[in-house]
Amino acid sequence: MNILEINHMRKSFDGLEVLKDISLSVKEGEVVSIIGPSGSGKSTILRCATMLEKMDGGDLIYMGEGAAFDHNGKSVYASKKDLQRIRHYYGLVFQNFNLFPHYSVYKNIVDAPISVYKVSKKEADERAEKLLSQLGLSDKRDAYPYQLSGGQQQRVSIARALALQPKILFFDEPTSALDPMLTAEVLKVIKDLAKQKMTMIIVTHEMEFARELSDRIIFMEDGVIQEQGTPEEVFASQNPRVREFIGKFKS
Amino acid sequence: MDFITILQQLSSGMIKTVGIFFWTLALSLPFGLVIAFGRMSKNKLVSSIFKFYISVMRGTPLMLQLLVVYFGPYYLFGIKLSQGYRFIAIIIGFVLNYAAYYAEIYRSGIESMPVGQYEAATQLGYSKSQTFFKIILPQVIKRILPAITNEVITLVKDTSLAFSLAYMEMFTIAKQIAAAQTTMIPFVVAAVFYYIFNLIVAFTMERIEKKMSYYR
Amino acid sequence: MKKTLAMLLCGAMTMALLVGCGNGSADATQTATEETEATETTEVESETETTEETEAANPEADRTTFVVGFDAEYPPYGYMDDNGEYTGFDLELAQAVCDMEGWELTKTPIDWDSKDMELNSGSIDCIWNGFTINGREDDYTWSDPYCDNSQVIVVAEDSGISTLADLAGKNVGVQTASAALSVLSDEEQQKALADTFGSLQQFSDYNSAFSELLAGSLDAIAIDIGVANYQISSRGEGYVILSETLNSEQYGVGFKLGNESLRDIVNADLKKLAEDGTVAELAEKYGISDLICLK
Repeated sequence: MNILEINHMRKSFDGLEVLKDISLSVKEGEVVSIIGPSGSGKSTILRCATMLEKMDGGDLIYMGEGAAFDHNGKSVYASKKDLQRIRHYYGLVFQNFNLFPHYSVYKNIVDAPISVYKVSKKEADERAEKLLSQLGLSDKRDAYPYQLSGGQQQRVSIARALALQPKILFFDEPTSALDPMLTAEVLKVIKDLAKQKMTMIIVTHEMEFARELSDRIIFMEDGVIQEQGTPEEVFASQNPRVREFIGKFKS
Repeated sequence: MDFITILQQLSSGMIKTVGIFFWTLALSLPFGLVIAFGRMSKNKLVSSIFKFYISVMRGTPLMLQLLVVYFGPYYLFGIKLSQGYRFIAIIIGFVLNYAAYYAEIYRSGIESMPVGQYEAATQLGYSKSQTFFKIILPQVIKRILPAITNEVITLVKDTSLAFSLAYMEMFTIAKQIAAAQTTMIPFVVAAVFYYIFNLIVAFTMERIEKKMSYYR
Repeated sequence: MKKTLAMLLCGAMTMALLVGCGNGSADATQTATEETEATETTEVESETETTEETEAANPEADRTTFVVGFDAEYPPYGYMDDNGEYTGFDLELAQAVCDMEGWELTKTPIDWDSKDMELNSGSIDCIWNGFTINGREDDYTWSDPYCDNSQVIVVAEDSGISTLADLAGKNVGVQTASAALSVLSDEEQQKALADTFGSLQQFSDYNSAFSELLAGSLDAIAIDIGVANYQISSRGEGYVILSETLNSEQYGVGFKLGNESLRDIVNADLKKLAEDGTVAELAEKYGISDLICLK
């Protein structure tokens, strides 16, 4: 079954069409990377898929349940209640972490499960402890975000998203706010997740990382998917735009 | 009349001054939040009504507002005033005025919050009210605390404006003792009282700020 | 739309809370609960008073309290004594009237600038506080005058001012909204004299005026004679009252225009109090025997 299915997604900002007819689907356990020059619309796909932005037209379907269906070229969203349930299927890791600064690491992780999804304290605690040790954060349990390095903060935000046990996890340029050292530690965490067959969509500038990790790479430009396929296919693409873009990163 | 007697007479006024202070604070802080919401409403009509309200409250003297609240019911609606209304009018006047100031402070704090906090909260499934009360408001309070402290200190001194409705708070009594005893000592005592009151306020606010400094 | 409604409700609730809470503590404060209630009931009755006036013989029959408004910074007529109680010649006289009628006296200090608003809005029954009739004859319903008064000029002893003519070019102080001020601004009275002053400075209370006189920023103060005597006797040496007076006038009790029924009761009582010597006794106590005109 497709975890995520997007059909004919369109989105404009002030008359400027940022996404033009995007369709893509993601199967369970698949890791998809989205690459492309800035302004190509790759982050907007993520923001529309996670409903931080409303798309203008197209379908958005998680686990076979429609969050939005296209009706005469306009997206019609499901009821608030349905959307709240559908939201539970996915998690999002932000470029700037967006941790809650007034909560400790531990509380950042357990608060949403407990106060939003009514998970028992014991259960939430077990999840948190497991994630903290898995992500190498056990000694930071009671620290506050400002006391952590960027890499540690990003790991906490990954733990926070995982604590809700999503079916799919989105990463919006998870390392672009980090220096190379810290980037490595975050990429390692994502690789570990891939090994555990976590379904993921990653918007990234890390070409080597995308090549190594992804089952599929999507190259975006000017609001359309220019090219997609396995890393080998995309990196060997004859499309001049793709070659130019990848070439920049190789040098 | 000796110093102790003056102090004793002023003490009843001090209690009333403290009363005005706490009632105003306790009611205007939450009411200010309501006004801030109105001011930030997406509904143009609602937000301009609140904007107008704030500009009137900030743009006219508090003493005048107190007179309007107290005498307004009679002059506008012909309602006879009762003795008990004097204190109520003072509290209403102070709360309406201070809530307007607090509303603008809340607004500046709320609008300074990074949008990422809202997005993260939405993403994790928090409802709108959970997002506001659990995630946003605690951070806003930390940010606006210095501005609030300023207003609270001003409030301590502004309580003396209640003399315009002849409410027997400290300053009114100080003026009366000064008149009867033809001496300026009550004013000196009053000044010391306001100063100490504000020292306590400043100390308390500092403690609260410290308490909230566990994060940045 | 729903949100707007919720917000309005929220606001209304805050207001309700505000009024509710205010009520509770107001009772606990200055006026005792019963007093407040009593005042309220009286007022309900006095509201019907005007309509019943033609039929009812005595609309004041049910009155239980008598609310006197006064400026608590106006010794010896009304002020705060050493025990923190409001007292003075006028207030004791009002108490004597209440004793005769079985009313409870409520002494309500007011801000003098707001006296008309207080009276018209019904928060006080009368203004009884060295209240000059002259010049205000048509603005209030007056009792018979009970006290003679004159407006005088107080100067520092060493000022070299001894006649009204000496005041030319000087800075003269006068209380805002006072009788002295109206004398000095009335064309038919002393406006011409006031025009010779260097400036006519208004102030809100006598304490600051006397301080200014002492400090030299004022040369003279125009003031009621009774108040002048009190100020000078409690401040000690250094001041003189000019023998030339600005005018002579009379004090009365001011009621809301048209409130003859209450006025008549107070008038009758004052007459009795004058006859039995109470008035003279009180005047003696407050050092204004010379001024009493109620015989």
